[in-house]
Amino acid sequence: MEQEKVLTGQESLELISRMISKAKRDYQDTGFSALLWGSTITICSLVSFANAYIKIPALDLIWYLPIVAVAVQVYISIRESKRRKLKSHDDNIMGGIWISFGIATFMLSYFVNRYQLDQSAGLFLTLYGIPTFTTGYARHFRPMLFGGLACWIFAILSSFTPYPYIILYLTAAAQLAWFIPGLILRKRYLKANKANV
Amino acid sequence: MFKDLNPILHSQLRLAIVSILISVQEAEFTYLREKTEATAGNLSVQINKLKEAGYIDVAKAFKDNYPQTICKITPLGVEAFEEYVKDLQSYLNVKK
Repeated sequence: MEQEKVLTGQESLELISRMISKAKRDYQDTGFSALLWGSTITICSLVSFANAYIKIPALDLIWYLPIVAVAVQVYISIRESKRRKLKSHDDNIMGGIWISFGIATFMLSYFVNRYQLDQSAGLFLTLYGIPTFTTGYARHFRPMLFGGLACWIFAILSSFTPYPYIILYLTAAAQLAWFIPGLILRKRYLKANKANV
Repeated sequence: MFKDLNPILHSQLRLAIVSILISVQEAEFTYLREKTEATAGNLSVQINKLKEAGYIDVAKAFKDNYPQTICKITPLGVEAFEEYVKDLQSYLNVKK
């Protein structure tokens, strides 16, 4: 690009719009986090549901899998932030929302175990809906917006559903709120990267 | 009648830089170079002009032992850009 080329009005407008769309296209979520958490909760809930019938005590430990996922998430987030050459306007807000969601989920797990709360799926589903809906709303990303709403609908339905079927709401929520939106984000990211080559 | 377009922004490379920075919170020098396809020297000079005008902030840091330059638009830069676009629109309307 020449440094001091005199632009016509039309050229200026075209340049502005081209640069804005370049920056917008480059700011793409990799979809990794959504896929990671969508898969983790799907696996945990399906194993938990199956274990309600096969009753193998060791399989209850599957709910420690999210701890492994947190470690993977931290590693990937650090790697992604090192690679990233730009920061979007809402990066800090989104980061804060998802970190507080992670902390709140662990706190809720603690209270559920501490007070031996049965049928806690509704509480977790209510919590899942908050960051998912917020992300969908803030980024105008409908799959997550509907995913968040689905979490809240499942939370209400769970109060009318007997154990162990209640666990399947967690599977459905993980798929609708994270896994499917994650696949869409991943596809968009790969497409944008291909276009940038 | 239309106002003269802001000479600081009415330059291809400086306008490209500001257009990118208006869309993000901050961007690295290497990113700006990649997107504007300018040489490092040219880009550096134009970034300095924008910095002197108070339109952008430039922070220098180290990332993995490599120097890193991060550029960010200032509130004055946002105001100037908005004004520039408004002037540009009225200029184009007058021409029609």
